[in-house]
Amino acid sequence: MALLRLENITKRFGGLVAVNDVSLEIEAGESIGIVGPNGSGKTTLYNVISGVYPPEHGRIVFEGKDITNLPAHRRAPMGIGRTFQIPRPFSSASVRENVAVGAMFGTLSGKVSVDECSEIAEHYIELVGLQAHKDKESGTLTPVEKKLMEIARALAMKPKLLLMDEAMAGMHPRDIDDMVRFLKKIKEDEDITIVSMVEHIMRAVAGFAERVMVMYRGAKLIDAPTTKALSDPRVIDVYLGRPTGEGEDAEG
Amino acid sequence: MILELLAGNLIHGLLLGCVYGLSTMGLSLIFGVLKVINVGHGPFIMVGAFVTLAMVTIFGTAPPVAIPAALVVGMALGFAFFYTVMRRLIKAPEFTTLLVTFAIGILLQEVVKFTFGAEYRGYNWEVGKIILTITTIPMTKVYASIGSIIIALLLYLWFNKTRTGTAVRAVVEDSEGARVCGVNVDRIYALSFAIAIGLTVMSGVFLTMFIPVGINPYMGGVYTLKAFVIAVLGGLTSPYGAFFAGLIFGLIENGAYVLFAQIPGVAPFSLTVSLAFWMLFLLLLIKPTGLLGAK
Amino acid sequence: MKINIAKYYPLIPVYAVYLTMFLVGFFVPGLWQLVALLAFYCALGQSWNIFMGMTGYVDFGYVTFIALGTYGMALGITYFSQFAGLGIAIIFIGLLLALFLSTLSALLEAGIALRLRGAYFAIACIGINEGLRHLIEGAKIWGGSEGMLYWKELTEVFGTETAIQLTTLWADIAVFIIAVIAAFINVYYMRSKIGYALTAIREDEDAAKVMGINTTKYKTIAFLTSGWLGALVGAMAWGLKLTHVFPADVFVIHYTVECIVIVVLGGIGTLLGPLVGGLIYGLSKYWLAIILPGFQLLIFAPIIICIIIAFPEGVIGVVKRRVKGTRLERYIL
Repeated sequence: MALLRLENITKRFGGLVAVNDVSLEIEAGESIGIVGPNGSGKTTLYNVISGVYPPEHGRIVFEGKDITNLPAHRRAPMGIGRTFQIPRPFSSASVRENVAVGAMFGTLSGKVSVDECSEIAEHYIELVGLQAHKDKESGTLTPVEKKLMEIARALAMKPKLLLMDEAMAGMHPRDIDDMVRFLKKIKEDEDITIVSMVEHIMRAVAGFAERVMVMYRGAKLIDAPTTKALSDPRVIDVYLGRPTGEGEDAEG
Repeated sequence: MILELLAGNLIHGLLLGCVYGLSTMGLSLIFGVLKVINVGHGPFIMVGAFVTLAMVTIFGTAPPVAIPAALVVGMALGFAFFYTVMRRLIKAPEFTTLLVTFAIGILLQEVVKFTFGAEYRGYNWEVGKIILTITTIPMTKVYASIGSIIIALLLYLWFNKTRTGTAVRAVVEDSEGARVCGVNVDRIYALSFAIAIGLTVMSGVFLTMFIPVGINPYMGGVYTLKAFVIAVLGGLTSPYGAFFAGLIFGLIENGAYVLFAQIPGVAPFSLTVSLAFWMLFLLLLIKPTGLLGAK
Repeated sequence: MKINIAKYYPLIPVYAVYLTMFLVGFFVPGLWQLVALLAFYCALGQSWNIFMGMTGYVDFGYVTFIALGTYGMALGITYFSQFAGLGIAIIFIGLLLALFLSTLSALLEAGIALRLRGAYFAIACIGINEGLRHLIEGAKIWGGSEGMLYWKELTEVFGTETAIQLTTLWADIAVFIIAVIAAFINVYYMRSKIGYALTAIREDEDAAKVMGINTTKYKTIAFLTSGWLGALVGAMAWGLKLTHVFPADVFVIHYTVECIVIVVLGGIGTLLGPLVGGLIYGLSKYWLAIILPGFQLLIFAPIIICIIIAFPEGVIGVVKRRVKGTRLERYIL
C-alpha cells in the first residue's frame, strides 16, 4: 500500500488551473523530489496535500484512507508534516515553544504531556544545531535559523511523510550539501518519507532524491528516477539551463 | 393603508439609503486601500454632525455650507491620524489596527463631549416639503439624498478618470505591483485615508439633514454597526457596492419599521436597530464576501 | 500524573497582590470601596485576557457577557424568590442562569463569528452589543427598557439585614474570588496545550492548522471561558450588588473599552498584565473621578494609542524582557 496516493488532482483558482490532473504515488521510505519552474503549481499541490484547500477534482489517499476533504488540522496527527517556503514561526514564542507545538499536535498528539513535548523539542533543536538559541524569541532569528527551526518543528511532529518546501533556497552550495546529508540521515533515523520541493537547485535534487517529478504549468511533465528525469529533453527545455548545475542555475 | 404606509416609508428608506451608502463608501475605501477596518467609523460621522451643528448654531449658516467644511475637517483629521498613527501600523498584526481605530473613535467621542457637552442637541432647517398622496417628504431629505448621490458620482469620476484615482485603484489591486509601476504608495495611502475620512465626516452632515435631532457625542456607535452591515452586504472592498448596499439597507430598515410597528407590544424603533445586527450575522454566515462584491 | 508546581509560581505575585488588596480594604476604614473597584477591574481584565490576549481576536461585544450575567442574577432573584426555603440557593441559581445565558450567547457568536477571521470577527461582534440591547428593549423582554428591580424580592428572602450584607460585602468578596479563579485559569491555560495552541493561532492561524491545531475548538474554549468569567463578574458586581438592571445601563460598550485599556496597558496575553492594568486604570479612574469626573477616557484613549504604537507589549511585556535570564523570570508571566 502506497503511503500517499494522489489521483488526478486538479485545483483551480477562478479561471486559473494551478494544478492540472496530477497523479503521484509515494511509497514509504522513498526520497522524492518535486521540481518545476516558478508557477508550475508545486506549492499549490503541497497546499492541497496538507489540507489548506480542497481540490476541485481528484482524491488524496494517505495510508489507504481517503483524506481529500479532511480538515488540515486532522492531517498532522495522521502523519503529514510540512515546512513552508517562507518560514512561518510563531514569532513571539521561543524556539523551544515553537518546536514543542510540533510535538504536541503531530502524531504524538494526546499521548505526551506538555513537559515531554518540551524535551522532545530540545532533542530536535539540538539536531538542527540551534541549541544556542532555544530560548530566544523566534521572531528574532535570522532567515536561515528560521528555516532550521521550521525543520525541527516539522520533525518534532514525528511525521510519516514530510513535505519540505524550498528548504534550501538561498543557501550556499556547501550548506546545501550539508543539508542533503542531514536529510538523508534523518530519513534513516526517524524513518520518514521525505518529499523535497525545489524550484531550481538541482544540486540538492540530484544529491537527495531517488525519484523526481517535474511539474510545468500545473501538470506533471515527467515522473522518473532522478538522472533520467533531469536529463529528459523536455525538462531541459522547460528550464533552458543545465539540470545538474555547478551551483548556478538559469531560469526560463 | 398598510401598503401605502409601506410604500411611503420605502421612499424615505431609499432616500436615507443614499446617505447610508455614502457614509459607508469611506469604510470600504479604507479597507480596500489600507486593508484596515476602521472600527472608529461611527464617531467620524458624529464629528460631521457636530460640524453641522456648529455651523448652523454658531455661525448661523444653512446646513449645506457645512458640507465643504466637513470635508475639510475630515481630510485634515484623516491626514493627521494617518501620519501620526496609521502609518506606523501598516505592518502590525490585525488586532493592533482594530484596537487603535477603536481608540481613535473613543478619543473623538471624548473630545467632542469635552467641547460640546453630552446633551442631545438638534437644529431646525425649514425648506418646505413635497407632498405626495402616500407620504410627505421634507425637502431636507431630498437635498441630503441628492447631495449624497452627487458626491458618490464625483467619487466615481475621480476613481476612473483621474490619474490619482487610477493610482488608488492600482494600490487596491496590488500595492507592490503599483509601487513597481512608479506609484508613490505611501502618499496614496495617506490620500485615500484622508479622502475616506473626509467622506465619512461629510456623510454626517447629510445624516443630520435627515435626522436633525439627537446629536450627541455617543451617537456614532449605532452607525458603525449599520455601516458594517452595509459594507459586508456590498462587498467590503468595493465603494460602489457599498453605495448600492446602502440603498438596500435603507429600504429594509424602513420597511421593517413599518412591519414591526404592526406588532402589538413591541417598540419598533429598537427592534429595527436590532434587525441590523441580525442581518449582519446572517450575512456573515452565508456570504461574508458580500452580495455584490468579491474578494 | 506528575504536577509540575513550578509552572504555577507566577501565581504567587498575583495572589500576593490580591491578598494585600483584600486585607487593606478590609482593615483600613473607608478603603473597601476603592479596593472593590480595583478587584472588579482586575477580574474583568483577567477574564478579557483569556480570549483577546491569548488569541489576538478582539471581541468588541464583550460587555454582552457581563450584561447577560447581570440579567442571569436578576432573573434568578426575581423569579425564584417566591419559592420559600431556597434561601441562599437563589444566588447560586442566579449564577447558573448567568452562565447559561452567556453560554447561549457565546455559542451563537462562536458558531458564526469564530469561523471568521480577525476583521470579520470584530465586525460581527461590534453589533452584538447593540443587537441584543435593542432586542431586549424592542421586544420588551425582561422588562424591556425599564429593566428589573429586585431589592424587594431580595429582602423577602433574606431579610433586610442580610440583604444589605449580601449586596455590599459579599458581592465584592465574590468579585475577589472570581479574580482569583480567573488568574488561575489564565496560568493553567498558558502552561497547557491550550496555551500553546492559542499562541500559535494568534501568531499565524493558517500555519497552526497545518501543524495540527483545531483552531475552532481552541478559540471556542477561550471564548467560552472568557465569557463565563465575564458573566460571573456581571452577576456579582452588578446583578447582586446593585439589585437592578436595565439595558441602557449594562449594554454599554464603555466597559469593553475599559477591558481593552486595562489589558493593553498591562500587557496583552500576560498574567500580570491585566492585574497591573486594572490597578493603574482603577486608581486613575477613582482619583480622576474626584478632580475631573468623566474625563478618564479622554485621557486614556490617547494613552492607549501611544502604547499600542510604541510599547505594544504593555508594562508587563517590558518587565518580562528585563527579567529574562534572571531568577525573577519564573514569577513573571
